[in-house]
Amino acid sequence: MNSNNKWITSDLNDEGSPPILGTWNRLYLFVLVFHALLIFLFYLFTKAYS
Amino acid sequence: MAIIDWIVLIGTIAGIIIYGIWKTRNVNTTQSYLQGDYDLKWWSIGLSIMATQASAITFLSTPGQAYEDGMGFAQFYFGLPLAMVILSVFVLPIYYKLKVYTAYEYLEGRFNLATRTFTAILFLISRGLAAGLTIFAPAIILSTILGWQLNLTILVLGAGVTLYTVSGGTKAVSVTQFHQMVIILVGMFIAAFVLVFQLPDQVSFTDAVRFAGSMNKLQVVDFSWDLSNRYTFWSGMIGGVFLFLSYFGTDQSQVQRYLSGKTLTESRLGLMFNGLLKVPMQFLILFVGILVFVFFQFNRSPLHFNEGNVNAIKKNERYAVQYEALNKEHELLFEKKKEVIHGYINQLKTEQSDKIRKGKDKVNTLMKEEKELREKAAKLIKEAAPSASTKDTDYVFITFIRDFLPVGIVGLLLAVIFSASMSSTSSELSSLATTTVIDIYKRSFVKNQTDQHYLFVSKAFTLLWGAIAVLFALSARLFENLIQAVNIVGSLFYGTILGIFLVGFFLKSVKGKAVFWAAILTELIILIIFYLNETGIPVSIGGKEIVISIGYLWLNLIGCTLVMIVSMILNKILPTFSKKL
Repeated sequence: MNSNNKWITSDLNDEGSPPILGTWNRLYLFVLVFHALLIFLFYLFTKAYS
Repeated sequence: MAIIDWIVLIGTIAGIIIYGIWKTRNVNTTQSYLQGDYDLKWWSIGLSIMATQASAITFLSTPGQAYEDGMGFAQFYFGLPLAMVILSVFVLPIYYKLKVYTAYEYLEGRFNLATRTFTAILFLISRGLAAGLTIFAPAIILSTILGWQLNLTILVLGAGVTLYTVSGGTKAVSVTQFHQMVIILVGMFIAAFVLVFQLPDQVSFTDAVRFAGSMNKLQVVDFSWDLSNRYTFWSGMIGGVFLFLSYFGTDQSQVQRYLSGKTLTESRLGLMFNGLLKVPMQFLILFVGILVFVFFQFNRSPLHFNEGNVNAIKKNERYAVQYEALNKEHELLFEKKKEVIHGYINQLKTEQSDKIRKGKDKVNTLMKEEKELREKAAKLIKEAAPSASTKDTDYVFITFIRDFLPVGIVGLLLAVIFSASMSSTSSELSSLATTTVIDIYKRSFVKNQTDQHYLFVSKAFTLLWGAIAVLFALSARLFENLIQAVNIVGSLFYGTILGIFLVGFFLKSVKGKAVFWAAILTELIILIIFYLNETGIPVSIGGKEIVISIGYLWLNLIGCTLVMIVSMILNKILPTFSKKL
């Protein structure tokens, strides 16, 4: 670890967990799964009306 | 426009401006003015981020784009949620830990002052020009629709937004954006409901959607690998991630929004809020455009949507008669098409494929005839006034608002357009002033002055950037292809800026000198490529003469990749070179 370390790491301990789902990783997963589901619904929408 | 609409429009805009000034009357420190008081909750941050990105052109052009080309544009935003997660994991904690005012401040700690100043200047050039455009572009359309002079519209938009941004700085931007975004979302929902209720009695919402689908307007997702197709799932997911990482992670107009959060948690939640809502919001705006398309199959639309062009040709004796003849032809065609579409919608309900195919062929033939008539009208307008822009899709939605919405709602929807313009411009002005003061003025010129001095200078620079944006907007029509020019200027710098930040975040061994010279070298290469591309001068590579021909959007990717590769090479070479000296 050099003196420049604070500028290149993102190891900040957050002051808390997110208000829902317990951990940040779960919240990120939720956002990405929601997005995947949305794209899937868009795909079904496209298929249904094309 | 009815008097109630004027009351709604002026009341909404004036109310927001007065509220912004009143709410931030106690802003009396530089930190409060440039960074807020770290008091924003996640929903305010999320709405503020969305309001900054959504300019007036978003609400004017997007429904018009759906009207013309369908809903494929939604794919442009597919990379955004992933970019939000990446920024939340890797970038936000660094900015918070260092308590930076600007994104470029980070670059001095990570690399050196030269890299910070260079990147800040690149941002000021590209965003400074864009600020003028975010006033100019909607002003052209609003002035045509409201019957105002273009310069007056620019001054109203520019002066209003500069007034409250100078008064309350970034805090005023945030408090007003919250209300602006609420008005925007409510307005778009109301427009969608009104459209559904104004469909003919015999045409249900399901019929309308089924009809739009059969006209190939509802293809949201396209998984093809066709590189010539601008919007596909892959271009959105791959290109979009890079674009949004760059925009949200390194553009001060966005960074400043989420750095105003009460805590890191609030800022992260704000980004997640944007990641969850942005794509559905774009879907809604595009779907409104589709409903406008169906609406105009049963209610006659103008032959050409830009009323300014139509008025001009009607005053031209030589062309007015020809235009009127086309207009009559269009009227007859519309009545015929409406009848055929009614029949076709009934056929769609029968599920008899033969009848449906024949009906569709009939509708398509009439649609083609209508398109040809519109092209003839555009050609005539161009002949009458060669400098006129005949692309009229940006006027489709606002024509619907003005001519078909009920009294009161017209004023509200116009307030939506004004709000969208002001919300993105205010973020730009505030971020331009912050970067000028923090990264240039305070860092390199006037270092040890009182807080009151820097507060005064911050307000002065906000005013100056507001004046520059307005002056740029006022003179914009004197230059041809201005919008394209501004987009090109952005693409010349965006790739280099993203490359510098990515080296900072992910290539931990690369030092400041290497990245600075890599950025300078990359920028020169980008400018040379751009020059060769524009002039068509052939280059000799390996004995072969090659003419460079690439779209300017690719310059983003080339710039970013070059900075990363060249900085790694220079990082190896420079220490050895220094030792030899």
